[in-house]
Amino acid sequence: MNSIEYRYDGTFQGFLCAVFDIYSRRDDPVAIHPTEVPSLLFTDKYTVITNAERAERVWDGIVRTGGEKTGEHIYHAFLSCEKNVEILLMRYLRHLFLCKRPVMDDLAYPDVLKVFQLYRTVSREAHRILMFLRFEQSADGVYFAPFAPKYDVLPLTLNHFKSRFASQSWIIYDTARNYGFYYDLQTVERITINEPAFNRETGKLARNAEHPDENQWQALWQIYFKKTAIAERKNLLLQQNFMPKRFWKYLTEKRAIV
Amino acid sequence: MDTLQKLEILSDAAKYDVSCSSSGSSRPNTQGGIGNAAKAGICHSFTEDGRCISLLKILFTNYCIYDCAYCVNRRSNDVPRAGFTVKEVVDMTINFYRRNYIEGLFLSSGIVKNADHTMEQLINIAKHLRISHKFNGYIHLKAIPGASKELIREAGLYADRLSVNIEIPTEANLKMLAPDKNYSSVIAPMRWIKNGIDEYQEERRKSHRIPLFTPAGQSTQLIIGATPDSDRQILSLASSLYRHSDLKRVYYSGYNPVNLKDNRLPVLEKPPLKRENRLYQSDWLLRFYEFTVDEIVNETHPYLDQELDPKLSYALRNPHLFPIDVNKADYHLLLRIPGVGVKSAKMIVMARQHRNLNSDNLTKMGVTMKRARYFLTCNELPSPSVQDFKPEFMRMLLTANIRKKGIPDALQMKLSL
Ligand code: SF4
Repeated sequence: MNSIEYRYDGTFQGFLCAVFDIYSRRDDPVAIHPTEVPSLLFTDKYTVITNAERAERVWDGIVRTGGEKTGEHIYHAFLSCEKNVEILLMRYLRHLFLCKRPVMDDLAYPDVLKVFQLYRTVSREAHRILMFLRFEQSADGVYFAPFAPKYDVLPLTLNHFKSRFASQSWIIYDTARNYGFYYDLQTVERITINEPAFNRETGKLARNAEHPDENQWQALWQIYFKKTAIAERKNLLLQQNFMPKRFWKYLTEKRAIV
Repeated sequence: MDTLQKLEILSDAAKYDVSCSSSGSSRPNTQGGIGNAAKAGICHSFTEDGRCISLLKILFTNYCIYDCAYCVNRRSNDVPRAGFTVKEVVDMTINFYRRNYIEGLFLSSGIVKNADHTMEQLINIAKHLRISHKFNGYIHLKAIPGASKELIREAGLYADRLSVNIEIPTEANLKMLAPDKNYSSVIAPMRWIKNGIDEYQEERRKSHRIPLFTPAGQSTQLIIGATPDSDRQILSLASSLYRHSDLKRVYYSGYNPVNLKDNRLPVLEKPPLKRENRLYQSDWLLRFYEFTVDEIVNETHPYLDQELDPKLSYALRNPHLFPIDVNKADYHLLLRIPGVGVKSAKMIVMARQHRNLNSDNLTKMGVTMKRARYFLTCNELPSPSVQDFKPEFMRMLLTANIRKKGIPDALQMKLSL
């Protein structure tokens, strides 16, 4: 018998359906790949059809056996898009369903530790959005913020921004994946901007797209950032350690003086 | 003078107050309101000296009728002076907040007219933010030494955190350097705040509808190196503040030689950053590692070792306690192992329920084995431990290890001990 390769649509739901099919067909695939990844030579292919109801059954099984925290670990690890993360997660799930109890504490078990580490990395990236995202008020009053996180974690931050900035309408946009979310004071909706009024690289709004007062607040913030540092204690290495350079292009205080 | 110029002066004047934490409060947003407070606090930026920026930290004014020797803003200094209007502070806070620059406001002030008058100004701003603007972000107010009990209690209704800075660790030295202040003017507001919090918690048990009172508690700051007070005196004070006054944080601020000509103060070239860092590490040992002051410094060792972190130096003074078996020792003992932090100790306790741990597992859980290996045993053949070496050799071995590290120990944030 040839070894078999699973192909799915790359979504988390799709992955859960792959898990469903692996159990019902009693397969042991050598790879589970999103369709955009070139397929392996010399394998039989099986294409997963995504189905919300099946995905939910698998999800319920995970949460029933491992608790919500296990679900979170699996989901965040999946978002890491690490190479072959699907196979890792599949092994983890087999282990979970075999033990019939949470295994997330068993950190000396290599697959469990690996999933835990991926979970931590991805969660940290999401937290960095909460830290380093900056809004600029646009001419029509909407607050706009660009960000290009390493992983596709914008959706994990929406609850935070929705409750914190409930009384202003905003757009948070992933400039690398070219989609974002728009909050219009009522609901949050997924959007794509085709002809952006912002710089594609830095996300900075063009001057004529900015609110007339925007410049003034940015100037104040830049002065504050400069003045609150203590020159005698200067330590740029420490600063960069906490605030890696790849985030600087979004930071109002790190942009050229306005 | 425009707002920009004022901000230049009044943020510069506030920068020596090192506390910038926005943690400990979880004020929810309200209907039509702005913001909320995140329990763990969020840093939004880092200054060039590597400190977290979480709050807009400014003085309301830097005019002051007092003349404290260690302060840039003292009456006798010839520095540019400014004062904000209420509206300026409120607008800046809200506009910075809406852009995700900050978690909220940290407002302090020089003393104008008298303590009560100054306190009223600070309360007024907090009130405007909370009531007129429904602002639910973080507010930290300075409780002005000498202000009345009524005003301190009122401030607690709007602030998430209140702080009174003790600044000088011993009474005699405070008297010498800050002739206008005295210990009781500092200690009294601390007590009122503590009583306020206690009463709130009592009431809260009866009804959930009573207004919040300083939900993130109180903190203070001690200046290090402006006076000859020893580390033991400093840490004893900190420990008693944690135990008896329920302080959430004590901050240590290495004295920045701001007033060079004052002969009551030592001549320092630079703030004593190393010592400050060792004090922060000791403070962590007190708060999270279940150490007592006497285990860190004592009569024979009143000063902290500058070369070694306090946990390592404790371990070297007490070699008989090691090596510790990571597969058996309780959590409390795991925390004593140099190189094992709170996070990894917790992971060890979880993971060893499933199987015995070896050194490879420990490394992957974030234990610094380079250091820890002399102080622990695990599911492996025994290797030389701290007991097998002469103390001087051990010390040499471990300082050599530490010197290689590129990035200096960070203060305030995570310290891996
Ligand atoms: S009261 Fe405060 S602002 Fe005034 S001199 Fe003393 S420390 Fe400085």
